[in-house]
Amino acid sequence: MKKITVLSLIIFSISIFLSQGLSANNQISALQILEKADNVINAPKDQALTIKLVLIDKKGKEKIRKMSMLQKGSDKRIVKFLSPADQKGIAFLSLPKDVMYFYLPAFKKVRRIASHVKNTKFAGTDFSYEDMEAIRFADKYNSKLLKTEENAYVLQLDPKKGIKTEYSKLIMWVRTDNFYPVMIEHYNKGKKLYKIMRRSKIEKINEYWISKESEMEDLRKKHKTKMIISDVKFDSNLSDAKFSKRYLSR
Amino acid sequence: MKKFSEFVIKNSKLVVFVTLVLTLIFGFFLKDLKINPDIISALPQNDPDVKLFNYIGDEYGGNSLALIAIETDEIFNKNTIKNIADLTDKIKFLDGVSYVTSLTNVLDIKKGIDGIEIGRLIDEYDLPKAEKKLEELKSYVLSKDMYRDKLVSYDSKTTLIICRIDEDFNKIEVAKNLKKLISDIDLKGNHYFGGMPFQMIEMSKIVLNDLKFLIPLILTLIFLSLYLSFRSFRGVFLPLISVSMSTIWVLGTMSIFNVSLTAISNIIPIILIAIGTAYCIHVINIFDEEIKDNTDKKKKSINALGKIGIPVILTAITTAVGFIAFIFGSYLTLIQEFGLFSSLGVLFSLIISITFVPSVLYLLPVKSRLKSMMKSTEKKTGIIIFMDKFGTWVLNNSKLIVVGGVIIAIIGIIGIPRIERKVDMIDYFKKGSEIRNTEELMVKKFGGSIPIQILVKGDIQDPIILNEMKLMGDFLDSQDNVSNAQSVADLIIEMSDVMGEGRMIPDSKEKVTNLWFLLDGEDVLSQLVNDEKTEAIIQATIANADTKKLKDLVKAVDKFIESLDSSVISFSQSGMPLIYQNLDDSIMNSQFQSMVLAIILVFISLVFLLRSFIGGIIGLLPIGFTLLVLFGFMGYFSIPLDIATVLVGSISIGIGIDYSIHFVSRFKLETKKHKNGLNALQKTLETTGRAILINVITVMMGFLVLVLANMIPLQRFGVLIALTMVGSGIGAITILPAVILVTKANFIGEFSRILNKTKNHLNNIKKEKK
Repeated sequence: MKKITVLSLIIFSISIFLSQGLSANNQISALQILEKADNVINAPKDQALTIKLVLIDKKGKEKIRKMSMLQKGSDKRIVKFLSPADQKGIAFLSLPKDVMYFYLPAFKKVRRIASHVKNTKFAGTDFSYEDMEAIRFADKYNSKLLKTEENAYVLQLDPKKGIKTEYSKLIMWVRTDNFYPVMIEHYNKGKKLYKIMRRSKIEKINEYWISKESEMEDLRKKHKTKMIISDVKFDSNLSDAKFSKRYLSR
Repeated sequence: MKKFSEFVIKNSKLVVFVTLVLTLIFGFFLKDLKINPDIISALPQNDPDVKLFNYIGDEYGGNSLALIAIETDEIFNKNTIKNIADLTDKIKFLDGVSYVTSLTNVLDIKKGIDGIEIGRLIDEYDLPKAEKKLEELKSYVLSKDMYRDKLVSYDSKTTLIICRIDEDFNKIEVAKNLKKLISDIDLKGNHYFGGMPFQMIEMSKIVLNDLKFLIPLILTLIFLSLYLSFRSFRGVFLPLISVSMSTIWVLGTMSIFNVSLTAISNIIPIILIAIGTAYCIHVINIFDEEIKDNTDKKKKSINALGKIGIPVILTAITTAVGFIAFIFGSYLTLIQEFGLFSSLGVLFSLIISITFVPSVLYLLPVKSRLKSMMKSTEKKTGIIIFMDKFGTWVLNNSKLIVVGGVIIAIIGIIGIPRIERKVDMIDYFKKGSEIRNTEELMVKKFGGSIPIQILVKGDIQDPIILNEMKLMGDFLDSQDNVSNAQSVADLIIEMSDVMGEGRMIPDSKEKVTNLWFLLDGEDVLSQLVNDEKTEAIIQATIANADTKKLKDLVKAVDKFIESLDSSVISFSQSGMPLIYQNLDDSIMNSQFQSMVLAIILVFISLVFLLRSFIGGIIGLLPIGFTLLVLFGFMGYFSIPLDIATVLVGSISIGIGIDYSIHFVSRFKLETKKHKNGLNALQKTLETTGRAILINVITVMMGFLVLVLANMIPLQRFGVLIALTMVGSGIGAITILPAVILVTKANFIGEFSRILNKTKNHLNNIKKEKK
């Protein structure tokens, strides 16, 4: 009898402890979680990395592309294709206020490209230009905490009024420990789930968290794109000159 | 046969019970019966042209285009643009639509203020609202070949939303959902639905409505004609019940084997109703003849069934054979299915007629027959007196009949070369019907909706190949009837232009791949090129499917392909023109093959029945005569051979030969009994001749009802079958005896000997009268 009382007491205290822990977490608002997630992703002052793109079609056939990417802050970015051979040298430069240039080596010409085409796929991948934008989700979306799972907060993001997006809503899983967003479900304007982004191999390099492998799956087309990141360098004080039209053609 | 008759009559109650239970079972499955009006799905999957067509459909987002045309006073108006944008957005997310292209999402490549724009013609997040912007957009769209007459008509009053339907989906369901989407949106102006998927919705509706309307009508008509002929309860209801049962059996079987009803197999119930009654009529006729009272009913019944069993079985077999001929001689699977299930239906009708019908007749008291019927068999009624006179006339004018027959046949032969052939689906619908009006609008404003594709193999990014593709596209556009030629070469040229390199294919592969990179991921690319860039298509549309024009086009394209350099590139033609051409050839072939097959099989059955080679040939004469009349009729009255009328030849052999069989077997029997040829002929005409006449009228009325159908092939089919019924029925009671008389064929028995006697006898009567 005694044993049982002791046991029930222990169980009782554990449950109190757990519920307190949970309620503490609950006190974090959805907006706070989202802002923290934005901070984690956009933390580095600048970054230089190599990206391997693996395009996987519905039959499982793979196509591989490689590119190098430099990014400063959240709105300056330059991407250069390294392979395959027939795409080597093609480069994109994104600057603030939707200004975008590209360079075609075969023509040796730099041209500005209108970038209002957000739902266009980026270089044949499952990432659209919109997905590739470095953005702060909190600026574009209203957030709502749907539930808290063992390791993740589950947020629902609804686009703010006047925001141009191809998505009707996003469901985002944010890790409770480091606030890294690990999975995002993208719902199309037909309110159907159509793309899922998953981030894995989340590592800490210097003081920054980075996902070395992310994958975007188009459920309708049964097509996937994996983005594998290597040669990561953070905060190497990239100069603004690197984000210029002249550097694009080099 | 005797054992069989004994078995049936002795177990009559069991037979009736089993038949009813089977009907209930088959009837239960009837609810699952589906309708499939898709002709493409009926193409033989092993035909290389069909394979290529399907392959292109699978790889490039579907061969079926569902077109929604929106018509207003001015397309470039903010409300209309908003409507189109909303619709496009909704359609994009509809299951089964692989691609949708409209004004608001079409790829646009243009020079901007300080660079190039590769994107949408209209920014879906910032739709043009101001008059000035709309005006600018209008003049830009109408100035570009990519859009004018392809997406927007030259007068900017009509625009298209083009949907490609995924081959893995049920096209009709997708088209229905599209229609629903549109009815949910408050569209300003008119809208039309064009293209195969929408046409198929209409087709299945029409198929179903025709059945719902025609079957009761045919049953009523047959009811009336049976009542007028038999004037008895059993004479009317037994045939009706048994044909209904055999129809239920066969449709139930189709449902069990998951075979859908098609635009062709929906004739099966009508055919079964018309044919099935014949078997019953003959059985009822003989029972009426043999059993006049209740004494010794069992023995008499067995006897009656034994007598009629063989001819009924034979007629059923020859009819079934006419249908079986389609299983082997046809290109379209829907015609093979039709052949299979019609012959099965005939078999079911036969089984019911020689088991269920005699059982019921045996079980029913003789009394239930109406008095007038009894009288009519005792006294010679009008029809019998007519038949007697008719017999005398035939006997006296046999030579005239033969000559007359030959003349009609020759007139028929002259008409045969005039027969046209039609394979276009649009031809199935009545003039002035919604579908035809829409199609005419599409043709007038956008150059039609029938796809033609050229598959290109080679390194698609090679400038040489792109240039050849461009040549091919230009060639297609230059053809009469063809418009909207498009390939990836056009996009590359457009890109080159905005890069400032001029409207041409760039001179190096590097340049092409660079330009290509900017297009990568665009929807339009996957409709034109495969992922590996080793294969591409050039597509265009055709205005109408006039068979001759299509054939000329197919030939011209093939000839052009031959003229191109084939060392690095290969072109293969595909698309509906080629399919239609195959269909057309196949219609000719299957007409010929199935008819020859039917004639041979029927001949064999006749030889077996008559145990005479000559007899077989003579037995075929009425049907041969009828076929010539039939084809002559088609020639003179411009009834084309299409996928339904192609059936008539073999069917009329199968059904028409029944009259000859009944006539000959009875004539043979009577010749044995009577010493006098005239008496034999008269007796045959009185009995079998009467049954034939009743049957001809019944069946003819049944098929003539099809004239009221909404499907044009069904109308033509009805007229033609009715014609062959009259032809072979009349032929059987005129030409057949006349030829037998003229040739003095002795397969009938010691006929020639009696014949001379009869002639003398007749002459004596004449002399006496004088």
